[in-house]
Amino acid sequence: MFLELTEEQKLIQETAREFAAAELAPVAAELDGSDDRGPLLANLKKLAELGFMGLNIREDLGGAAAGTVAFSVAMTEIARACASTAVTVSVNNMVCEVIQAIGSEEQKRAYIPKICSGEFAAASFALTETGAGSDPSGMTTQAVDDGDSFVLNGAKIFITSAPYAGVFVVWAVTDKDAPKGKGISCFLVEAGTPGLVIGKEEKKMGQHASATNEVLFADCRIPKSALMGRLNDGFRTAVGELAGGRIGIGSLGLGVGLAAMDYATKYTTERAQFGQKISTFQAIQWMIADGYTELEAARLLLMNAAFRKEQGKSFAKEASMAKMFATEAANRACYKALQMLGGYGYTRDFPVERYARDARITAIYEGTNEIQRVIISREILRNFA
Amino acid sequence: MKILVCIKQVPDMESRFKPNGSGVWFEETDLAFRMNEYDEYAVEQAVRLKEQLGDAHEVTVLSIGPDRVVEAIKKALAMGCDRGVHVQDPAASLKDPWQIAAIIAAYARDKGFDLIFTGMQSQDRGSAQVGVTVAEDLGLPCTTTLVGFAYDNGTITAKRELEGGVKGVVRVKTPALVTCQLGLNVPRYPTLPNIMKAKKKEIEAIPVGDLLREEARTATASFHPPAKKGGGIVLEGEVGALVDQLVGILKDKTAVLR
Repeated sequence: MFLELTEEQKLIQETAREFAAAELAPVAAELDGSDDRGPLLANLKKLAELGFMGLNIREDLGGAAAGTVAFSVAMTEIARACASTAVTVSVNNMVCEVIQAIGSEEQKRAYIPKICSGEFAAASFALTETGAGSDPSGMTTQAVDDGDSFVLNGAKIFITSAPYAGVFVVWAVTDKDAPKGKGISCFLVEAGTPGLVIGKEEKKMGQHASATNEVLFADCRIPKSALMGRLNDGFRTAVGELAGGRIGIGSLGLGVGLAAMDYATKYTTERAQFGQKISTFQAIQWMIADGYTELEAARLLLMNAAFRKEQGKSFAKEASMAKMFATEAANRACYKALQMLGGYGYTRDFPVERYARDARITAIYEGTNEIQRVIISREILRNFA
Repeated sequence: MKILVCIKQVPDMESRFKPNGSGVWFEETDLAFRMNEYDEYAVEQAVRLKEQLGDAHEVTVLSIGPDRVVEAIKKALAMGCDRGVHVQDPAASLKDPWQIAAIIAAYARDKGFDLIFTGMQSQDRGSAQVGVTVAEDLGLPCTTTLVGFAYDNGTITAKRELEGGVKGVVRVKTPALVTCQLGLNVPRYPTLPNIMKAKKKEIEAIPVGDLLREEARTATASFHPPAKKGGGIVLEGEVGALVDQLVGILKDKTAVLR
């Protein structure tokens, strides 16, 4: 048993931490409160140039080939400064990984280097529909074989980065009559393809700088070569890739939780009431102890899931456990932190209310935590059946 | 052209330092270490010079210390240095600047380096002696506290920072040694692919015993935090009397009213 990061992982963590402190943290509050995405896009470009968009991607495709543990620690450091930037980086990595996993060599060469280099500001993962959230196999977006092309029709919702994505990974039904989940395929659709329409942007509680849009397909014609992986085998891919994405989102949640606890803990050593620093009160000390203990447990769960993925072992259960626990610990940490700041925590003069708003979605997206519990219990019960 | 950069790994300066058992240095357990800030300017300038001159020119990065300093060497390699030298010394913190300089000079003496970069000082020891002593030991000309650097055809034009914002310009022919100050450049972040590729670069390990022949000439007698200041003075009473009291204190204890 050895629980230390490697020298390379430490250097990646240090690079992420220093970049986040210097470039991301100073604009995070501004991005939260404005519609101007200029600073976000500029920072995404810099992050791409440093290699953060393809952490687990082959070198010859422009990736860093640094592995999943490095991905996890990098996500946490970025999220400590700006959750909106972090979710964009997480989704970009996930799109790169799905293309690397099931794309043809030609597809890999066409898209992955552009995401890794920042030529594409972002990439999108278009799975969810209004009627198909926790149950994506219930999707109705269709891709109809029309000779030398497919024609897409339907609507996706909650698509991260849609207005500035260069490419979309899109799931659609290719065999209506197949049993549920068996007739879905995966496609690569380039931004600007006629019939691909970026719909309305959601007004969200948090993670404001990251755009979340409806994406519509109206007779959107894509070449046959846009099919990724095998026909009708797309659902299995989606489920598999989401497990990797969960490590990213759990790590993101951890980062937001740590940011909140670090801010609040420092605050309690400066804020005085009843003639003493409030950190001397046991009520505050218990919040500090509970908050950090849960986040440390979250970190270890994440490291375990990431390490297993990196080692080529099964990791779906561990990734779900880590995502579920880390994002819930992060939410509790944010609410503790807010309480530690008292009334000031509720104001926008302090960053803690933003952390609390940013953390909330992590228990919902990338598979709700209820779905994570379904996955975890199913994996466990399998051993008792 | 052969370039040497000397770097030190130091604790994160935001750490809480406490004296170690012998009371002559700080306790290292639980500290996070990173490359000395001034040495980052040195690495950046060396890599920029290599980029200016072309790939045929080689930058070697050297560090002295326990195994953990390999992380700092790897960072320098990821920033663009070509090869690393790790002088293995678990007790480097007990060596005085004379010995550290002697180790570096012993390594560099027959290697034909045209230019040696060091930081102006380390953030932890802060002696600012090592660079200049290496130069003296090797018989090299030396210029210090660089905030500007240009190289052309064997001549370095160095902009130096003097007190009070005054600058000086020094020209020196190679071979030479320069020490780097805040403001010289903005060190690059190592890219992630370069961090991973640095794994493949050579790091030569040399036991410190192979290089060190010198005894220490200075010894640190004590390492301690400053004495705790007493609490502030709270004055009470009528405003008129308070003003007199305050003026008296300012005259006695400060330079404000002199």
